[in-house]
Amino acid sequence: MSGAQAHAIWSGAETAHAVFSVEGMRCASCSRAVSLAIGQLPGVSRVSVNVATQRAVVDWDPRQVDLPRILAAVTAAGFRAAPLAGEAASGTRRLERRLALKRIGLAGLGMMQTMMFVYCLYAGGSHGIDPHIAQYLKVAGMLVATPVLLYSGAPFLRGAWSDLRRRTLGMDVPVALALVLAYGASVVNTLRGTGEIYFDSVTMFIFFLLAGRFIEMTVRQRNMSATEALAHSLPAAVTRLKDDGSTERIPPERVAAGDRLSIPRGAVIPVDVELAEPEARVSESLLTGESVPIVKACGATVLGGSVNIGQPIKVRALRGVGDSMLAHIVQLLERTQAERPRMARAADRVAAWFVFVTVALALGSAGLWWMISPARAVSAALAVLVVTCPCALSLATPAAFAAATARLAKLGLLVTRPDALERLAAVSAVVLDKTGTVTAGVPAVRVTRIQGDLSRAEVLQIAAALERVCDHPIATAFRPYETPERVAVDVREFAGRGVEGRVNGRLWRLGTADFVAELCGERPVESGGVLLGGTAGLVAVFAISEGLRPAAANAVRELRELGLEVIMASGDDRSVVRGVGAELGIAEAYGRLSPAEKLALVREREAAGSRVLMVGDGINDGPVLAAASVSCALAEGSAIAQSAADLLLLNESLTTLAAAIRAARQMRGVIRQNLTWSFFYNLAAVPLAAAGLIAPWVAAIGMSMSSLLVVLNSARLARPRATAATPSATPLQPSLVARVGP
Amino acid sequence: MNIVFLLIPLGLVLLAAAIWALFWAVNSGQYDDIEEAGRSVLEQDEPPR
Repeated sequence: MSGAQAHAIWSGAETAHAVFSVEGMRCASCSRAVSLAIGQLPGVSRVSVNVATQRAVVDWDPRQVDLPRILAAVTAAGFRAAPLAGEAASGTRRLERRLALKRIGLAGLGMMQTMMFVYCLYAGGSHGIDPHIAQYLKVAGMLVATPVLLYSGAPFLRGAWSDLRRRTLGMDVPVALALVLAYGASVVNTLRGTGEIYFDSVTMFIFFLLAGRFIEMTVRQRNMSATEALAHSLPAAVTRLKDDGSTERIPPERVAAGDRLSIPRGAVIPVDVELAEPEARVSESLLTGESVPIVKACGATVLGGSVNIGQPIKVRALRGVGDSMLAHIVQLLERTQAERPRMARAADRVAAWFVFVTVALALGSAGLWWMISPARAVSAALAVLVVTCPCALSLATPAAFAAATARLAKLGLLVTRPDALERLAAVSAVVLDKTGTVTAGVPAVRVTRIQGDLSRAEVLQIAAALERVCDHPIATAFRPYETPERVAVDVREFAGRGVEGRVNGRLWRLGTADFVAELCGERPVESGGVLLGGTAGLVAVFAISEGLRPAAANAVRELRELGLEVIMASGDDRSVVRGVGAELGIAEAYGRLSPAEKLALVREREAAGSRVLMVGDGINDGPVLAAASVSCALAEGSAIAQSAADLLLLNESLTTLAAAIRAARQMRGVIRQNLTWSFFYNLAAVPLAAAGLIAPWVAAIGMSMSSLLVVLNSARLARPRATAATPSATPLQPSLVARVGP
Repeated sequence: MNIVFLLIPLGLVLLAAAIWALFWAVNSGQYDDIEEAGRSVLEQDEPPR
């Protein structure tokens, strides 16, 4: 696993930590097997395996065991360990997808061909057929079905084999049993020259099951690429300056506190550092989603994960990479994600019971028939196995999910976790982060106080003139007030403090209270805000706030109409948050919340029984996103929030969320219909099959029709439904408005 | 009806050819990103000549 990125592997002197993906886990017993295999190694202090995300998190003591041995243990347990992210991971995913496509293609082509041959035999059954030709057709069927079984059916056979070796009953067991039984009986009958053949059942079976798994796989792979953005952030090597002046290149993991590093232009700063230059321009977009550059002064702390976009700088490391804030938050994310599969555990328990009942029924009916009339034992057992095949069951959810996902993608919402939509349908409360999710990121200026003889307009123009040459984020707020009559000359920027310049002959300073007080000698009563002062005294106080996103108020109204509580939880100033809450019509708006307090709020609501949808975008929301029932990040938000979130909002409009919840509820309804249908179908068909009243080929056709019905029912979800007078999401994107279907 | 004894193997040969073509297409990466072709129409850049 060389090439695994720094966030996935950390190594200190006493503990090392790695996150990697484990392929081939299908259920809880598989993840238990992996945990046991890794946990048995000496020196491993913690193992956490998550089937839903196909990930393993391992902490170990590097003095006692190393990563290659851990990976070997995973392989010995019958699974494959693969890098979580990076070049190698995307290569693995590509291969996995290609293999799946080849298997499905072969199964599909084989299925069509065997059905052609078998149809002739069925026709021959009623109208008479030359026995030589019948035999020929049977052999041809065998020739086609054999590679299909061995190549396309391999995952089921191998899965069942490893399930049985571990003495558990996974979903693969009855499938493999049916396949082997059908194929074996058909081959025997072909060689004998008499009796039924079931090659068509074998191929159809394999095709439908593979199709369902393919859908699940594509969704899972899409989820992984969000984590990649994070992994690519840290560099493979960083330059350390030694005391004698020479330089050496070391991996980020080896950086110790106190090391002096040289960061070139465009490079990511690997650890939390202190700036050793007078000034530097960095971008914290990875952490905050804010792509506007920030100027840092000498001695300021720059967080690991920031990108140096100015001249090459020298810095001093404050902590190692394992202790950087970036690392801590990612660790928190991994931990919270590993503890998450509520749905999965319940589903696995049902599956094991279902499998047991299926196999028992099949054996039971075979046994009964053996006593009455052995020839029908095989066909009865097969019919039972085929009819109870969890095909419709296994397609019910993925098909509905795929259709709902497609519809949401058209609306601009990307679903990155398979069970996110089901959880979204059950949501009862929405928690919004004020900055970013509701505000538009373009700052707006409010003049909160004016003294002296200048008018509001003049004051804004002076400030705009001073800020004109600055790239500071605050400067953009003043742009609308620029005017050619007021031009600033001799402008000097003081990083982190403000800007000074002459406008129409008078010297002005715009910036923090201390900075401006040096010039004008006055301080305002209230704290905060941006001050403008001249030699004559303080002239104005501005408040810079962010404007609201278009349609935010509409979105809040729609969410309330759906019966959801809307809550705002933000780290910003209390009065500002309350103001925004009032404008949007949100009763519960909390400001000045630290990330831990936000997490506590979400946990408290969840414990009280609500299901929370958390919408956030900054790095501080990462762990909170992972703790909520469903989380949604914004596309302009930080990469960390995106990899933690279940949903990704691509456009700026929050009304998409309301549409998503409606779609999720419809999907839940369709899934219930699908499951109800498959359940009753099985209930009715099993006694008939066990009684030998259904030939296996009829059972196979019945199973296929049942699956088709489920898929068609799910396809209804793909078309966006019309809602009464849906307002345009944003003026720029009218095509995203749901349209009336034909 | 004896022509069937020729037609069936012919059918199997065609099937093998279809499977070969599918495997070739998948292995040469044509199915790696099926949305890209549609999206590329909207890009501004000139296609490579």
